[in-house]
Amino acid sequence: MRSKDKEIKVENFKKVSSLSSEKIYSALKKVLERNAISVAPELIKLLKDKLEIEEKSGNNIATEQLKLIIKNFNYAIEHKLPACQDTGMINILVRFNPDFSFPRDFKDTIIRAIRDATEEIPLRPNCVDPVLGTNSSDNTGHLSPPIYYELDDNVELLEIDVLNKGGGAENMSQLLMLNASVSLKRVKDEVVRIIKEAGGKPCPPVILGIGLGGDATYSMFLAKKALMRPLFSRSEKKEVRKLEDELLEELNRLNVGVMGLGGRTTCLDVRIEWAMRHPASFPVGVIVQCYSHRGSKVVFKRDGNILYEYL
Amino acid sequence: MVKKILKLPVLEDEVRELNVGDIVFLNGLIMTGRDHVHKRIVEYIRDNREIPEELKELDGSAIYHCGPIIKEEMSNNKKEYKIYSGGPTTSARMEEFQEKVCNVLNIRLVIGKGGMENTNFKRIGGAYLSFTGGCGAIFVSFIKKVKGVIWEDLGMPEAIWLLEVQDFGPLLVTQDSKGNSLYI
Repeated sequence: MRSKDKEIKVENFKKVSSLSSEKIYSALKKVLERNAISVAPELIKLLKDKLEIEEKSGNNIATEQLKLIIKNFNYAIEHKLPACQDTGMINILVRFNPDFSFPRDFKDTIIRAIRDATEEIPLRPNCVDPVLGTNSSDNTGHLSPPIYYELDDNVELLEIDVLNKGGGAENMSQLLMLNASVSLKRVKDEVVRIIKEAGGKPCPPVILGIGLGGDATYSMFLAKKALMRPLFSRSEKKEVRKLEDELLEELNRLNVGVMGLGGRTTCLDVRIEWAMRHPASFPVGVIVQCYSHRGSKVVFKRDGNILYEYL
Repeated sequence: MVKKILKLPVLEDEVRELNVGDIVFLNGLIMTGRDHVHKRIVEYIRDNREIPEELKELDGSAIYHCGPIIKEEMSNNKKEYKIYSGGPTTSARMEEFQEKVCNVLNIRLVIGKGGMENTNFKRIGGAYLSFTGGCGAIFVSFIKKVKGVIWEDLGMPEAIWLLEVQDFGPLLVTQDSKGNSLYI
């Protein structure tokens, strides 16, 4: 028995892959700066397409708003300034292969990267004690930032998604605990109602992350996770994909428009993640994101390479 | 679209001439203020406390719903505030306090995003100017000087920042003193 145990340990040891904290630290710093200053080029391209649509339809207000939005993104990159002053609550999703062995100071490394980025870029300090009302000034604090962990065989080694989530849009998010017998049409109507009522508050055109099913906690997590999926990606499940497309179309017919001032540009993307639900419940988590979707994924490969992708 | 360049402070008549759909550019001194500034001003009035003297300079000027990123830095051996980003925040959160704050400081223009459907700009004798949300970086190009800070104990985003602006705009008049609104 003893020798067999030993064998297993040796074999496991071989499989383990690790990364230095410094490598993780510098990758996170890079991503935090990139997120503050820029968004995905595909997102800018879509905004330019929307500008053309609004211009053609003669909507002067939407045209002017979109022009300024695009100008602002260019200015931010050119002058290395945070595109939006609300550099958000930093949401972190860590996805790891079962073979990956975390450095012991993994969490501290994340905290350190955020503190230093807050000082150096700088980011706006957005961590407030809910009881005392005091701002920690460094974007970290008790159980903050939120770090989620997910074991995933499809991840080669380690992937870290970093989403800078602004407060104005997050405030419009909702958890719906619908009747178990509701139709998918009703689910869509509810989501449309949320965006209609939100009006200009979440900085539309919005991007929606939706968690369908699960329970109360899980549907909200899935909604946030949907926002960390690649831009314009669609669900693998045909029926869910249909729902994503239909919602996007319906939302753009709402006439909420850019900044709530009317027009054809209300929503840029809808992404749905789903899980099985309890027979008695139909939870729908809706996380609202502004047009300034600042997120990146860092992929740590087994060969030591690091890839950076926009979310 | 009518374009107007306004020099702050403005006269009540100038503000009453603004109509929804007009584009405005502002020059002069403005203050930032968001959730806690509004709350504190209203509490000060309730408790008969004297509001900071510097705020009297804002008579006839504008309040900007904004929590900027500003850092104190050394420049030519002098400490100076440097602004990094300053787009608007959602104004709806300030509705509860807005009229009182405008009356006490004699503020005529409210700048923010998303509108204030429950605030009566007719009664204020003022207008709501919308600046495009998320446009924090470009705002830096309108700043002549960060003049000072009041109530820094509220934290960087929540403090009152006194900003000298030049050609701050385009701002869109989305609610005017006649009670018109552009929000859908």
